[in-house]
Amino acid sequence: MSNVIIKASDLAKSYETGAVTTHALRGVSLEIEKGSFTAIVGPSGHGKSTLMHLLGGLDRPSAGSVFIEGTDLRGLDNSGLARLRGEKIGFVFQFFNLLQGLSAKENIEVAAMLAGVPEKDQGARALALLAQVGLADKAGSKPSQLSGGQQQRVAIARALVNDPALLLMDEPTGNLDSASEAEVLEILRKLHVQGKTVVVVTHNNEIAQKAEQVICVRDGRIAA
Amino acid sequence: MTLSKLVIKNITRRRGRFVFTLMGITIGIASFVTFLSMGGSLKSEINRESAALGANLVVTPIGSCAYEQVSILTGEILPSNITMSEVAKIRSIQGVNAVPVLTEKSAINNKPVSLNGIDVVQMMKFKGWRVAQGSYFSGHDDPSLVVGSAAAELFKLAPGSTVTVRGQQLTVRGVLQETGGRDDLTVFLSLPQAQRLYNTGDTVSYVAVKVDDLKNLEGYIQTIRDATNLGVVSDKQMLKSVLSIVGTVNITLQMIAAVSVLAAAFGIVNTMLTATYERKREIGILQALGARQRTIFTIFLLESGFYGILGGAAGVVLGLLVSLTAAPYISQNAFTSFVKGSGGGLIDLKTVAGSILFSALVAVAAGVYPAWRAARLSPVEAISYE
Ligand SMILES: Nc1ncnc2c1ncn2[C@@H]1O[C@H](COP(=O)(O)OP(=O)(O)OP(=O)(O)O)[C@@H](O)[C@H]1O
Ligand SMILES: [Mg+2]
Repeated sequence: MSNVIIKASDLAKSYETGAVTTHALRGVSLEIEKGSFTAIVGPSGHGKSTLMHLLGGLDRPSAGSVFIEGTDLRGLDNSGLARLRGEKIGFVFQFFNLLQGLSAKENIEVAAMLAGVPEKDQGARALALLAQVGLADKAGSKPSQLSGGQQQRVAIARALVNDPALLLMDEPTGNLDSASEAEVLEILRKLHVQGKTVVVVTHNNEIAQKAEQVICVRDGRIAA
Repeated sequence: MTLSKLVIKNITRRRGRFVFTLMGITIGIASFVTFLSMGGSLKSEINRESAALGANLVVTPIGSCAYEQVSILTGEILPSNITMSEVAKIRSIQGVNAVPVLTEKSAINNKPVSLNGIDVVQMMKFKGWRVAQGSYFSGHDDPSLVVGSAAAELFKLAPGSTVTVRGQQLTVRGVLQETGGRDDLTVFLSLPQAQRLYNTGDTVSYVAVKVDDLKNLEGYIQTIRDATNLGVVSDKQMLKSVLSIVGTVNITLQMIAAVSVLAAAFGIVNTMLTATYERKREIGILQALGARQRTIFTIFLLESGFYGILGGAAGVVLGLLVSLTAAPYISQNAFTSFVKGSGGGLIDLKTVAGSILFSALVAVAAGVYPAWRAARLSPVEAISYE
């Protein structure tokens, strides 16, 4: 039990859009072990992103519960959730992860600032993380001057700034060519080896095959 | 990275919008400062003129109001309705030193100038003028001119220069030393000469009165009223009513300024609301990175506050420049003529700091709603935005 980092029970989420109610999730229960590599797969529009948002405390379920390292997210207010995200979780989204006006280094510095790193230490921290994803030479580049793959690697570096136990990524290779995809994949593998818990939403078979656990979401439920 | 550095980077990202929003608040605060400084110099100038007038009482035609009293202080033309026989009655009162004045206007080199016909002997005693160049009037009906120091400088007059008044060539006899009041900008001639040139018969515009016993001012007022059927005000009453007019003018000016500051505030609201829409996704990213609603709120509030501080500082500078350079060119009337020559030198450090603070407060207030909108976004809503 102590080895479980995320435990979700009977998660449901529905969206009201006017008269229409969309049931994005209809009762999902799962456990993710500390240090594991988990892939969430499934057809488009069947609730994968919704699930990832709930697991990371970005959104609140309509029903059910999420525990992260034993903490019941239902017991946290908005600022408690923000603190949890800042301390324990690193997010990488599918598109437009970066703050557009800022360079790669500044993007990481903002995350460091939010994590409470003193200003004088932020620069070195940012450069070290950029080196870790192989982008030390792109520190001064704005997002518009970086390729899609490079942007995703900056986003991963930024997600690591608070040394989170848990990395939640929504299709980090979704819009990349195979070369960039391989680079990102290699970084994920290293992070897993380092002991991070990695959860990746993906359509990518290669990632899914490398995962220790594959969760297939279909029509808002977990399919076998 | 610090919050304020992030804010500055955000704010300057859209250069055009930044500049135009800033210009709005700059112009608003500039007009505020301009009016404030003009109103301030108006007041101090009135106080100075009233002191320079040197009278305890001023006798004017009955029924004259504060507007005429302003004119006495500014050197505007007044109707000349007081006869010399009435002046004589005032003079015959015990303990009273009365000096009749006829106010007229002329032009030298097409520039307007105030002309005062005075009882030359009495006025000298009354004011205690000193002569800087040449000499004072030689007698009661001396046909020449004596000019104030600023007027001499402005029109390049010295003893021996000639000036044409109503077709008549008059010679400048002397130049007075600086007094610090309206007298400096005035050209003086003897009362009989002035009355002849302007065909006013034996009338004058007002009578300046000094009394021997200041404690009995009310008594003198009553005595003069009983003797002459003229209006009498004390210098203090006159100052009070003139300042109240100026106060009304000031309030009007400040309301205009307030409207322009208000318009600028809506400019900030607009800019900040646009920014919250544009940066929706970035707000989501910041929230995913652990930023709390409070932090998002602070970032946006700082952004608008920054507009306020920068626009306030620029506005103060611009406002001072305007009041210093434009004030002398403002067309002359009873009110603005005070400002002439006095510059806008009345802005002190307190006003500067106050204006910038005011600007910052307005901007922060304008930023509250947009910042609240930004902070209220749910992370997922913000992230899903494309
Ligand atoms: N904010 C929202 N309002 C209304 N409906 C929503 C909202 N977000 C998601 N949905 C709906 O919920 C369902 C699940 O969406 P979700 O984004 O989780 O799918 P997904 O599996 O991530 O799809 P994809 O692979 O295309 O990213 C979809 O039908 C979607 O239209
Ligand atoms: Mg998705």
